[in-house]
Amino acid sequence: MPVSFVDPPIANSGRNSPKPEPTKIWTLREPPFEGFKPIDTEGYAKSNPSTAIVIDNGSSTVRAGWSFDSKPRISLPPLMARYRDRKLARSFMFVGSDIYSDGTARGQSKNVYEPGNNIINNWDVMEGVLDYVFVKLGVDKGYGSIGRPIVMTEPVANLGYTRKTMSEILFECYQAPSVAYGIDSLFSYKYNGGRTGLVASSSYTSTHLIPVINSKALLSQSTRLNWGRFQSAEFLHSLLKLKYPMFPGKTGKILSDPQAEDLVREHCYVSRDYQQELSSYLEWTGLEERSHIVQSPYTEQVVVQKTEEELARAAEKRKESGRRLQEQAAKMRLDKLIQKEQGLEYYKDFQVRLADMNKKDAKRELESEDFADQGQLEKKIREMEKSIRKARNKDLGEPEEEEVAEVPTFPLLDTPDDQLDEEGIKQKRQQKLMKSNYDARQRAKAEKEREKVRLAEDERLDTVKREADLESWLEERRIARNEVIQKIKDRDRLKADLGNRKSKASMQRMKDIARLADDNPTKKRRRGGDEDTFGADDADWTIYRNIAVGDQSDDEEEEDLNGQLKKLEEVLLQYDPDFTEESTREAQLDWTKSLVHAFQRGPYPHDPESQREAHQIHLNVERIRVPEVVFEPSIAGLDQAGIVEIAAGILNERLADSVHRDDILKDIFLTGGNTMFEGFEERLQKELMAILPQGAPLMVRRAKDPVLDAWRGAAQWAGEAGSKQHFVTRAEFLEKGADYIKEHDYGNSVL
Amino acid sequence: MAPITTSSDESNHQALLDQLDILAIPKPFRNPNYKPHQRRNKTLKQLVADVSKKDTSMMQSQAGSGYATPQVPGSEATTTGGALTPAVGNGSTGGGERANIVQASQRLDRLVLEKNQQASLGVPESRAGGNPMAVTYTNIESAPSLQASGQKKYCDITGLPARYTDPSSRLRYHNKEIYALIKTMGSNATEAHLAARGAQSVLK
Repeated sequence: MPVSFVDPPIANSGRNSPKPEPTKIWTLREPPFEGFKPIDTEGYAKSNPSTAIVIDNGSSTVRAGWSFDSKPRISLPPLMARYRDRKLARSFMFVGSDIYSDGTARGQSKNVYEPGNNIINNWDVMEGVLDYVFVKLGVDKGYGSIGRPIVMTEPVANLGYTRKTMSEILFECYQAPSVAYGIDSLFSYKYNGGRTGLVASSSYTSTHLIPVINSKALLSQSTRLNWGRFQSAEFLHSLLKLKYPMFPGKTGKILSDPQAEDLVREHCYVSRDYQQELSSYLEWTGLEERSHIVQSPYTEQVVVQKTEEELARAAEKRKESGRRLQEQAAKMRLDKLIQKEQGLEYYKDFQVRLADMNKKDAKRELESEDFADQGQLEKKIREMEKSIRKARNKDLGEPEEEEVAEVPTFPLLDTPDDQLDEEGIKQKRQQKLMKSNYDARQRAKAEKEREKVRLAEDERLDTVKREADLESWLEERRIARNEVIQKIKDRDRLKADLGNRKSKASMQRMKDIARLADDNPTKKRRRGGDEDTFGADDADWTIYRNIAVGDQSDDEEEEDLNGQLKKLEEVLLQYDPDFTEESTREAQLDWTKSLVHAFQRGPYPHDPESQREAHQIHLNVERIRVPEVVFEPSIAGLDQAGIVEIAAGILNERLADSVHRDDILKDIFLTGGNTMFEGFEERLQKELMAILPQGAPLMVRRAKDPVLDAWRGAAQWAGEAGSKQHFVTRAEFLEKGADYIKEHDYGNSVL
Repeated sequence: MAPITTSSDESNHQALLDQLDILAIPKPFRNPNYKPHQRRNKTLKQLVADVSKKDTSMMQSQAGSGYATPQVPGSEATTTGGALTPAVGNGSTGGGERANIVQASQRLDRLVLEKNQQASLGVPESRAGGNPMAVTYTNIESAPSLQASGQKKYCDITGLPARYTDPSSRLRYHNKEIYALIKTMGSNATEAHLAARGAQSVLK
């Protein structure tokens, strides 16, 4: 695989260039219901009592047909659902993919096999599957007997009990005239014309290596590795659960089992050189090709999208109402202005009238208008004029003229109290108040000025220091920056920790709360006998901040930390030659540089709000990691030797002295669905080459059809004249017992 | 009773179920008198345990008979009253060989088979058939790896090659970014990651 190790040219500027939108998004399959399958009567009509029914009894799929067929007529997953519907007062029985048609059926379905091994566990289901097979093969006569010989596959070194029970079912329940068992991978090898070689069969639940010499399997040399497609799918599923712990939907279930198998089948491949390919798998270059996106079904949150027209209308409406309000306000202002002007006119008139009156009348008039003296009236008029002017300016939009702040005078303050009458004292008190206000304002102003000067001085000193000793000045900034970053990290960690009930931080928090709520003094305080000193130290109050959780006033501080960091980085960018755009925290945290992001989200930006993206699975490292387990079982915690090590043991040790060794090497034969990964042959060839002596002849080939050839081989064998003698007849079963078998080239040996 | 695929909806689902149901279909090929065993479903674990129990008991009983019988050559009737089985070919062979013969007779069929096979295939006896052993489901299982490849370490989070191990969680990691991620994980999450490679701590 030509994976380039050259860094993308953009990398120097710190960030990777974003990739275009993904071109292909895979989807998950629906439940694999295959529809109703009609009963196939043609084969039964063609058959005679000596044509065998051939059943490849696999743990992923059971395949069945007649010995004269070129491919199995029926193939179904070994599943059955049998239950009673109380509402309808009726029992149902569904077999194979039919169970995926109905929710209850799927929930009630049971497998023939225990998950993860190839030994039959549930015989009721097995019977159901056989019933289905015979029904669909069109066996509609029989009077209590199937009336046809049966050839069935079984695992290598099948357990006695399993074979015995199977024979009992076949001979007693179906009254088969004769039965023969064989090993699927050997049938496949036979069908592909092999005579001497090493059969490597990796199927649904296990991987077997069986050396074959002159069509005879050396079963005592065969070895099983407990790993197959089922385990691969389960491993992938567990990896995905770890990768997306917050995946929406049912917790602990991202995929259904058939879906997980689909993903393994569709996306995984065997790496030619695992170590090398793996180390560069998440690199930015070409990541869009290595990373596959699988979309799981989701419902988009409906955001009511308003049309352009509606939006325009709403805006118009808003504007309209604003205008109306403005108009109303303007009218009100105008009314007020008119009122004020009238008032002013009245007072001016009044002033003129007063001037004509004698003193006593004037005083009386003034009192009737609530004025103490002439001065107050003048003041009132002045104020009114000012406010009218202001209002007019505002209405006309003219700039407000700056008020010249006159220094107010407080003439009464210097006069001693005894020289003043009651009124005077009152005024003096007022003036005193005003003066102190005024003074305070002045002081604040001065303080501000001084602060400004101080800041300027600080900056000057800073500049001086920087110019004098740049290095130590920068060092200070760097330290400060690191401190801020540490604070941010601590805060983030605390936040994350508080989410976890068992974390140290949450435990401490609970302890603190308990302590604060506790009325009894702590032991220490009792011993010391002193008073509660909480609050003496300002830091005591932080306890409340520590126990507070959620979005409270933390935001302020958060802003502050980020702001501080930004400021420090700006300074460093300006003066530190080593500090570049790339070294800023923002650039370092940029998602395009994050390995975790590449792993979880591929080379695309991630929007945590989007339901679509939350339901996406990105497959990248898993694509080679999952199939690699066959070569290196320790990846998945399986304590067994890998396929290459087993093959090496067989070829280099157990059969090292055999005269047939070279013949075996010339035919390493792959069969079984789990060997269908792209690159499996090449990888095995390469790895075997490495462990064999130089110049050893080595040929690795794959079955023409790794999945169906086992059935075809069995059918071919069943059709041969010579195979008849290897069938166990019903008479022999009755005479010699249920675990009696006859050995043949493609079957297990007698225990 | 709910459709879960696109091939049926509420209206025709019952019809589809009626079509798929194979309980109602007559099965003339079944023996009407057949009664299955009770409790015939056994897990692999049970089966393997049964087999090993049977093996050990057989070995004991046969070993006993092998030693017991030759001690009374020609006088079975007097001492045991014919209760003991006469040993195969007793009297002429020495005591040391008897055990072997008994063992061989246990597996006589197998021994002959293996020998014939070896002769015909040219596999030297010392390699393949020195100790003829029955092929059983358990003993064909692959042994643990002896290769150094078992020591290759991969990052528990990403699967990339891992050079480091976090001592507190025992997780292997690829670089410091992954390490930072590990540090934010709770013990549940770290244990789940360890379980993926079978290294979780198991409480017993």
